[in-house]
Amino acid sequence: MTNPIPSIALVGNPNAGKSSLFNALTGARQKIANYPGVTVERKAGHASFADGRPISLIDLPGTYSLTPASLDEAVTRDVILGKQVGERRPDAMIVVVDAANLDNHLCFALELLALGLPTVVALNMLDLAERDGLTLDPARLSRELGVPVVPTVAVRKRGLPELLAAIDGAIQSHQPREAAAAPPNDAALHQRARAIARAATVDETPVRRWTQRVDQVVLHPVGGLILLVTLMFVMFQAVFSWATPFADGLEGLVGVMQSWVVDTFPANFLRDLVVEGLLAGVGAVVVFLPQILILFLFILLLEASGYMARAAFLMDGLMGKVGLSGRGFIPLLSSFACAVPGIMATRAIPDEKDRLTTILIAPLMTCSARMPVYTLIIGAFIPAQKVGGTPIGLQGLVLFGLFLSGIVGALLVALILRRSVTKGNATGFMMEMPRYQWPRAGDIVIALWQRAWIFLRRAGTIIAATTVILWLLLSFPKVPEDSALSQVEYSVGGRIASGLEVLVAPIGFNHDIAVALIPAMAAREVAVSAMATANAIDAGDDEEKMAEQLGERLQGKWSLATALAFLAWFVFAPQCISTIAITRRETNGWKWPLFMVGYLFVLAYAAAGITYWTAVAFGLG
Amino acid sequence: MTALLDRAPLGVAVRIARIDWTAMSDDEGRRLREFGLMEGCEVTPRHRGSIFSRDPLALTIGRMQVIIRAKQAAAIEVEAISGETGAA
Repeated sequence: MTNPIPSIALVGNPNAGKSSLFNALTGARQKIANYPGVTVERKAGHASFADGRPISLIDLPGTYSLTPASLDEAVTRDVILGKQVGERRPDAMIVVVDAANLDNHLCFALELLALGLPTVVALNMLDLAERDGLTLDPARLSRELGVPVVPTVAVRKRGLPELLAAIDGAIQSHQPREAAAAPPNDAALHQRARAIARAATVDETPVRRWTQRVDQVVLHPVGGLILLVTLMFVMFQAVFSWATPFADGLEGLVGVMQSWVVDTFPANFLRDLVVEGLLAGVGAVVVFLPQILILFLFILLLEASGYMARAAFLMDGLMGKVGLSGRGFIPLLSSFACAVPGIMATRAIPDEKDRLTTILIAPLMTCSARMPVYTLIIGAFIPAQKVGGTPIGLQGLVLFGLFLSGIVGALLVALILRRSVTKGNATGFMMEMPRYQWPRAGDIVIALWQRAWIFLRRAGTIIAATTVILWLLLSFPKVPEDSALSQVEYSVGGRIASGLEVLVAPIGFNHDIAVALIPAMAAREVAVSAMATANAIDAGDDEEKMAEQLGERLQGKWSLATALAFLAWFVFAPQCISTIAITRRETNGWKWPLFMVGYLFVLAYAAAGITYWTAVAFGLG
Repeated sequence: MTALLDRAPLGVAVRIARIDWTAMSDDEGRRLREFGLMEGCEVTPRHRGSIFSRDPLALTIGRMQVIIRAKQAAAIEVEAISGETGAA
């Protein structure tokens, strides 16, 4: 072998529990990147054999066969066949099959075995199969397949040492052999798979599965939808109420750090940069970490429990009406966390036009980067009271309304696009509905940690950099003592913003907003840090003013109509370079990202304008 | 007696008699076969649509639940399984 560290690929059907097995084998020692040239996520990690020899593991996207139907399935095929650019062909495979669904999963396993690589089959989720009344004979299955079969329960870390020992053995004892012929056609393959599954099944007690009773409620034509809307509603209420104590704590911490720097160091350029630029700007964004994590927690739990596919089923009827499919629901729901992974998740949509439309409307889903803006403005302008004696908070309700506007806007845009620029046949919708599963805390923690890390890294790099640049632009030249203008208005940045203000004044935007809009192109949450920086500069060394929270300061300066128009703008505005960049990569050109930016700006301007004019007409100006 | 799967009553197991592969794209047909939907196998329609539409259709095949659209279901001819009501 040329490389001393054997590389082992985890392959299997979707819902075979591959990722759990991968997490159990590698723990937190994993790295997520992209395959070069394609946007499919490459999950790699390290583990070691019992005697300490290291191995590298890669987790390949789940697929049903070696004939790919979508981009990520193509990556699985190419890696296994050694055709993927920049990826060594794996030395061995762990084929992961769901013990309770052998009939189906053995089809792909047989195809993989025919390739002739050293292979071990992980008979995964054996506990769930037993719960369903199945008794299996792994030794018999091993004889039928001609490779070692190791029973595993990834979520309880059962069978892992045995699995690693078996793969070690398979690599050591492997004789290069001609690839055996796979059964000639789909029907023969399925027959063979069913025959093997029957042979390996010792006993099958029909159990009236409770999951079917659950599905009677969850997939009920009316009840299921009510449940879905309720879940979404609870999710958005939770984002607001659960996060508050944590966010307040972080905010306090930033304040303490600012005071400490002010008290410790002499007043100079560097101190101002740190206090007004870095701490005010980055701090204003970091305090939203709790909210973003709560949102991700909900999405991850819905996904891991198997509910997400049910939601896709329920939404398919509605999405079909606007020319999309239920498949698009998962990328769109992920876009509530961030449009970038959401747009990447559209790769699972087989139909090209369906996929393109889903990409184009993904930025309308309220991503977590909008949360800082929404929370700041709602917190400052919407009273924290209950709606008419109910336990529903008005602030949460407004937030829910903003999310809803994004969704309704997205559906309308999809409807128009599917009748014009992305016209095409009605698309198909076929997907497997996974069984319900109790999400494993460890898997959720790993995924949450990865999201938190990405967010903090963004805050530390892009957001920190734009805040510093903005601070410089807003701090110079220094305003003369006798000027009626504030420092921010007098500065270079302030004058650029004054130019922009002419354009956005008709829709009720003031100078504060104009200052925030340009750097917010880098990332939406920078709108908040930009306003925080501008306010910190105006506050100068006045400790009392600095202690005043940003929201309170805005209350004094903005009318309610302006605040509402600002919220409406952010429902639609395409303000995030990462989203534009990922759209360019996913659509292979500039045509669609430019189209997206154009239509979103028009919508944002119109929505903010209509909101402002309506509010003014009702006397809120 | 045969009927089309998109009209088949919920909760009753039926056997697939014939699939009109020409009514769908190659990719759709292959995905159906990957799910195990082929002539001769048994399926049970479970859930159909929501208040928005009759689409899609969830069915049990073996130990798996899959979702397909009514359009594909309309290309699948099914027959009753003799002597059984198939409550499983």
